[in-house]
Amino acid sequence: MNQNTVQIEFTINGKKVTTNIPSHVTALHVIREIMGLKGSKEGCGIGECGACTIQVDDKAVNSCLMLGAQLHNRDVMTIEGLSKEKKLHPLQEKFIENHAVQCGFCTPGLLMSTHAFLKENENPDRQEITRAIAGNLCRCTGYQQIITSIEAALQDESCRGGE
Amino acid sequence: MNKKYRSVGRSIRKKGGVEKVKGDPVFAGDIELDNPLVLKVKRSAYAHALIRNINTEEALKIDGVKGVFTSKDIPGVNLLGIINRDQPLLAEERVRSLADGIALVAAETEEAAQLGIDAIHVEYEKLPAVFNPVEALKDGAPKIHAKGNVLFTRAVLKGNADDGFEKAYSIIEKEYTTSAIEHNYMEPDAGAGFVDEDGCLVIYASTQNPHYDHKELVSLFALEDENVRIIQAATGGGFGSKLDLNVQGFIGLALLHLKVPVRYVYSREEAYLATAKRHPFTIKIKTATDRDGRLIATRVRAVCNTGAYGSYGIAVASRSAVHGTGPYSVENVDIEVKCVYTNQTYCGAMRGFGAPQMALAHESQMDLHAEVLGIDPLAIRLLNGLEVGSLSGTGQLLTSSVGFKDCLHAIAPYYEEAKKSWVSTCSTPFKRRGVGLGAMWYGIGNTGVQNPSTARVTMEPDGTVTVFTGCAELGQGSTTVLCQIVAEILGISPDEISMVVGDTRYTTNAGATSASRQTYISGNAVKDAAESLANVLLTEAVNRLQVPKNTLVLENGEVTTTGNPDCGIGIAVLAGRIHDKGGVLSWQGYFDPETVPLDPKTGAGVPYATYAFACQMAMVEVDTLTGEVTVEKVVAAHDVGRAIHPENVVGQICGGVAMGVGFALMEKFEQGKTESMKDYHIPTASDVPEVVAIIVESEEPTGPFGAKGVGEPALIPTAPAVINGISSALNYRIYDLPASLERVLEASIQAGHFGVQEE
Repeated sequence: MNQNTVQIEFTINGKKVTTNIPSHVTALHVIREIMGLKGSKEGCGIGECGACTIQVDDKAVNSCLMLGAQLHNRDVMTIEGLSKEKKLHPLQEKFIENHAVQCGFCTPGLLMSTHAFLKENENPDRQEITRAIAGNLCRCTGYQQIITSIEAALQDESCRGGE
Repeated sequence: MNKKYRSVGRSIRKKGGVEKVKGDPVFAGDIELDNPLVLKVKRSAYAHALIRNINTEEALKIDGVKGVFTSKDIPGVNLLGIINRDQPLLAEERVRSLADGIALVAAETEEAAQLGIDAIHVEYEKLPAVFNPVEALKDGAPKIHAKGNVLFTRAVLKGNADDGFEKAYSIIEKEYTTSAIEHNYMEPDAGAGFVDEDGCLVIYASTQNPHYDHKELVSLFALEDENVRIIQAATGGGFGSKLDLNVQGFIGLALLHLKVPVRYVYSREEAYLATAKRHPFTIKIKTATDRDGRLIATRVRAVCNTGAYGSYGIAVASRSAVHGTGPYSVENVDIEVKCVYTNQTYCGAMRGFGAPQMALAHESQMDLHAEVLGIDPLAIRLLNGLEVGSLSGTGQLLTSSVGFKDCLHAIAPYYEEAKKSWVSTCSTPFKRRGVGLGAMWYGIGNTGVQNPSTARVTMEPDGTVTVFTGCAELGQGSTTVLCQIVAEILGISPDEISMVVGDTRYTTNAGATSASRQTYISGNAVKDAAESLANVLLTEAVNRLQVPKNTLVLENGEVTTTGNPDCGIGIAVLAGRIHDKGGVLSWQGYFDPETVPLDPKTGAGVPYATYAFACQMAMVEVDTLTGEVTVEKVVAAHDVGRAIHPENVVGQICGGVAMGVGFALMEKFEQGKTESMKDYHIPTASDVPEVVAIIVESEEPTGPFGAKGVGEPALIPTAPAVINGISSALNYRIYDLPASLERVLEASIQAGHFGVQEE
């Protein structure tokens, strides 16, 4: 067993951390098991399902495909960083209002993908939204209420431009 | 339509929704325990073999391995199964599939657990295996269970099918096949547990049926009821497969012996290997109509492959046979479905219990008859559709809430429009468009057996209300719907009600979250309890308000008299008074739908108290050069009795359609080949059609506020609608699911469309 460790320094949800991690573990492992942030999920472990999606320097990535060591010097955001204090992010509000959530296992990853996407594209059409979330699998909803939620969020100024 | 209700019929915010968008729900894999051991199962190296010896000595010596257990360590009955018990938790003298567990390792780390697994030496005597159920039925086939390879046969007989065929104007006989399907809920199976100070095994599980899990653990380990507690963790979808005991038994076994916290989270690969699939079917069907297109006879001979164990196989065979006529009135019925053991990974419940497979057959036949007779596919369905007064194949008289034709009428304008503006327009010379219909009926609850639900509604002396239900919430929204029903009866806001769900210490048995039964059955159970509580509140209010009880109503947290809203008394005051007098503020509710068991020979009986109905229309475009099928739009009309929460109903319909598109076009689980999600594709956001959901409300008199169910019905019509749409586009029919690129391309070639269309 490889017990080599590496020290990484990164920002997670606005907080700077320095920690030693085993050099072979994934970013998802760092987030869930070392940082104790359990909102990011492992659905497949091979980058197919998107349940582990986080944002690294504002880009949505599958954290199961990234090494923990690659988080060094990066700015990381997980689902736990989306709502500020007790206030939900408007995107989260729209997901609730439009019934986009069923079992909730894919939801954190979907919100991370969507949030990152809306930073890059402030005025996407339905097809672009669909393509943006096509890497996040959901077995419950059939996606329609999710897409509707994202469209509703576009009407809300505060959802855009990476707030 | 729902004006008279305050909670029912409103799409309120989902209970637990805020937590879910924050990533807060604690799934079994997220549970914090004090240094839990990791569990792993050693599974069979062969699909069929005798076990001569299991040597665990080497494994026990590995650093970090804390225990290795085999069937010898199971003190109770080492057999699982909710309908028939035939599946050992850990194999004894025989393995019957690659999924079979042989030994359980508990270790400090994943790595140590894996080393432990690798160090277990099993001596096998390999046996011939059989994977095809038709082969498994032949004389001399390898015998998988002592009683033989036929698990169960369900016949449904009515009238005289031979006479019907004799008189027929048109007879069509075809064979259809469907594939094994992986449920692919997003959360792979998981559980965790510890032993509490009283010695009770406390297990958090990703489950559809905590009370069944409890019963199985008590039986496996010969414990008393109070020594096992199952708590449903947040559960990331189930679709039928989390009805089986996937990790709970292993967690229990480790806890029983080691008494320290343990956790078992399946990798996706292990979930694929070791959990149930949808039964693949081979369906031979012969149907006959008269000159006008009226169905006069149906004969079905179907075989479904249950793999190594029964799981829900008996229910699948039984339900598929009952539903074999489709939502149509047929005078002469002769249906037989055989459920057969093979050495595949076992098959169990999956959204629809055999009805989706059967729907492919009966709906394809309807279109074939329509074509032969020159009738429109919608017209032939209207001509034959069930209505109040119809007799089903099991001889059940349908007396109310038969909204099938309402669904057809709801689809009609979309269908006529699609025929005009979709089918005739073709975007490129390499594409062809079609429109297809799929229809279904679906019995709510288990087939011809008792399947009650119980619940408790409690009011504190200060008026706060708590509902205790064993009904597992999987994301579909049962907790919200049950809360709305109680809120409606007690005249309070759903926000004021606390829900205690799926904890065998505090809740009573609600049965499985399956068979689209929870809104109807658990809905009635909570309604029953809430009505008992409402009754004592109203009785108490009579004294205070000095008016007859039948003029009192519960609304806005008060008991008031009809027509005089100023004269009211708060329920908290009433609760306090009842409490002070020693009155009862905690009430148990119960509901069991009225059914009559099916006759073992003829299938006659009343399998379900009520049925859901639906029709879906799919608009498809087929690329004639690649075989790619785009499902552009699905219009889905569903008779749900009453939508307690309309947006939840829409959510079920959209999710069902998506799963139906997967079943129709892309999903196929192949043992030995399908190892991970790289090998198995479920629909992404780019693969699903726009869904127009139409809710039809043909009230069910025995349902809570008229409600029936929708979870499984949502999926059933989709695949036939898509397949009929492809057939309409290509003028060539596909009989086997999935209609993969290869199959569609082959159909395109056979139909002469492979090439530029000459216009």
